[in-house]
Amino acid sequence: MQLDLDNMLAKIKASQWALADFDWDAPGRETVTENPELYAKLKVFMADLMWIEHVGARGFAAMAKKAEDPTLAEIYRYFHAEEQRHANAELALMKRWGMIEGDELPEPNINIRLVVDWLDTCADDQPLDVLGSVIPMLEITLDGALCKFLLDTVDDPLCHEVFGAINADEARHLGVDFHVLETLGYSPLYQSSIRAVANILNPKLMIGILAYLPLLNRMRDNLVALGLKEEKLYDAMRKYERVGGTEQGRRNAWFRIISLQGKMVIDRGNRLYHVPVDALVKLSDRYPRRLVRPLPSWFKQLSWRSQV
Amino acid sequence: MNAKVTHVHDVLIVGAGFAGLGSAIRLRQQGVEDIVILERESEVGGTWRDNQYPGAACDIPSNLYSYSFVPNPGWPRSFSGSRDILAYIHDMVDQFELMPLIHFNKNVTGASFDEAQGLWTIKLQRGRAYKARSVIMAQGPLSNASLPNITGIDDFEGHRIHSARWDHDYDFAGKRVAVIGTGASAVQIIPELVKKAEFVKVFQRTPGWVLPRPDLRTPEWNKKLFERLPITQSAVREALFWGHESMATALIWDTPVTGLLERVAKAHLKHQVADPWLRRQLTPDYRIGCKRVLMSSDYYPALQASNCQLVTWPIDRLSAAGIRTAEGLEHVADCIVFATGFDVNKTGTPFPVTGLDGRRLEEEWRGGAQAYKSVNVSGYPNLFFTFGPNSGPGHNSALVYMEAQIDYIVQGIRTLLDNNLRALDVKPEVQQRHNRRIQKRLAKTNWNSGCSSWYLTEDGFNATMYPGFATQYRRQMKTLKKRDYRMQPEGITS
Repeated sequence: MQLDLDNMLAKIKASQWALADFDWDAPGRETVTENPELYAKLKVFMADLMWIEHVGARGFAAMAKKAEDPTLAEIYRYFHAEEQRHANAELALMKRWGMIEGDELPEPNINIRLVVDWLDTCADDQPLDVLGSVIPMLEITLDGALCKFLLDTVDDPLCHEVFGAINADEARHLGVDFHVLETLGYSPLYQSSIRAVANILNPKLMIGILAYLPLLNRMRDNLVALGLKEEKLYDAMRKYERVGGTEQGRRNAWFRIISLQGKMVIDRGNRLYHVPVDALVKLSDRYPRRLVRPLPSWFKQLSWRSQV
Repeated sequence: MNAKVTHVHDVLIVGAGFAGLGSAIRLRQQGVEDIVILERESEVGGTWRDNQYPGAACDIPSNLYSYSFVPNPGWPRSFSGSRDILAYIHDMVDQFELMPLIHFNKNVTGASFDEAQGLWTIKLQRGRAYKARSVIMAQGPLSNASLPNITGIDDFEGHRIHSARWDHDYDFAGKRVAVIGTGASAVQIIPELVKKAEFVKVFQRTPGWVLPRPDLRTPEWNKKLFERLPITQSAVREALFWGHESMATALIWDTPVTGLLERVAKAHLKHQVADPWLRRQLTPDYRIGCKRVLMSSDYYPALQASNCQLVTWPIDRLSAAGIRTAEGLEHVADCIVFATGFDVNKTGTPFPVTGLDGRRLEEEWRGGAQAYKSVNVSGYPNLFFTFGPNSGPGHNSALVYMEAQIDYIVQGIRTLLDNNLRALDVKPEVQQRHNRRIQKRLAKTNWNSGCSSWYLTEDGFNATMYPGFATQYRRQMKTLKKRDYRMQPEGITS
């Protein structure tokens, strides 16, 4: 899946939108606010979703510094901003539905918080191989799948309008993600594997893996608690393997590792994987909050306001 | 003699900035008297007349950013502000009685060479054309303000100011100000705006490397010492020259010293900025020297003021109310300050220049400007450039280079006049050989190491910088070698 990056950058620039393009007072908010059961679930869901945008955002910010091709670096710079735009739009929806007061920001769950924390401290030190392989998985499973769940559940027409714009952005993100995934497989598999082994021995990456594994299980549990089918999450994970598994893509050792891990997530009978990872989820609930670093200053630029 | 016959000047100079005035002084010192200077504005000073924005100053020490043949013992600070530099230029005009040579409000619109007569004709926007045996193009590389190519730039309904065309009547008190650009002008403007405006948002595309600027007030005893013992000022100038010269090893080429200087800049950043995310946003990802290095000790503190914010999101467009960025927000502003630099003539000329056989310089330079020793272009006899192609320094005072160019040009004009030549034209093969060498050397410099900058054309051709030490540049400019030129005798008789 080869892309013309110059064309893609031009397309991205031509497809920019802003919060001011939407009428945030348009009718339809009552479809959420007058449904107490949905409202309570949605509040938690939206908080997670908004913070998950930052997992992608921070990943793109790191990749913008790693990409050697200046066009690709510029694309990542836009993607970083677009993930922030999605978070801003989701905050604006929360504001519309009365889920946040004033300038307060919703709290993410501990697993998202730990992943964001790791990305903030370690992502810039990770090679493009790792980031370029894991970001599509996160985008497709968390961001993409969660948006789909949302649209299946919420009837507010404005929400559909906003997510139409967000999903159009995400489609371009995935297009570039899979293009990069493929180009990362240009070197022979043995070289890619040696690099992957060397990377995996990096203690910072090990900590990252420890933060990443429970996040997927946590989101699965949260979705089930919301009454949604986990199968849709799994469909998204299969899509990663299907779209990324080109001849070139399969030569990328990190693609193989992440695909394998995806298969283990999907296989609920795989006790060897799920018992320890579910234990990590439980353990993370006990993770002392004081050990989590304060949020970096970028969060101060989040806003539900169209004009700042 | 018919009074309507246009007088033929020996030398016509375009521009009354540093280069034009310096050329006139040196020409006169060499006995050339028939000089006319055409200035498009109504005042001398060039870039220092135009750049009077708050905080405008030179980032090279004043004792080096001045002519060695016009020493000024009274510089008030180590890095003088634009008003002091402009005052120095005015003093220079008075001291050397240059005012009678300058014709103000003369905007040149074209220059063409008549081979039969060996004359240049200079056309103006208004008024009669001028004729001259030789022309010095001293209009400067930084004379035309450039607005960025942003969608909706005309949609903004608030006040717009370009750093090089400052609106001194605009009151910033209580205003929300957006500054686009974080280059050399911006780092000087922002600390001043933060003191006055209600809120300042700084829109950054690429961070620059910033080194501290030790801007100290000059003590009175120092000024007196320089006045009474000029040799002490010369010694200081010499020391500053060699200090800057040594920086070439860090800024022009990628050497271990480059890494060392980056460490100094990073230490400066770490010392002044505590927040890791802001530090990340302000850390460049290209080698120091690839773009112009910024000198400021108050830029980082200004960015962290409670009424200032750095915005690094890509700009989508300007709207009626302000600036829309890619994170989906509209940043409302009462005023936008464009600190976005200048149109540097890397692929053209500021006005049409026609040489031998009707050739057009802007067409020849379309792929990137080139000249011989940055001063002459083959096919355009008797035409001399100051700050022509590949004459820019990245590490030393521009005036050091300018002095070398002027003295070379004076040699050329003296050769032309003394030998009563119709044309003094650099040989094409000499120019080609010179440029092959320059481009070969440029390929190994930091400027050509991958970052985009105003030094390069859109195709990555470097038509602006000189790849070497100032000492090397001065040496190559020391002597005009007659064998490099085609000399056509039988000049006109007056």
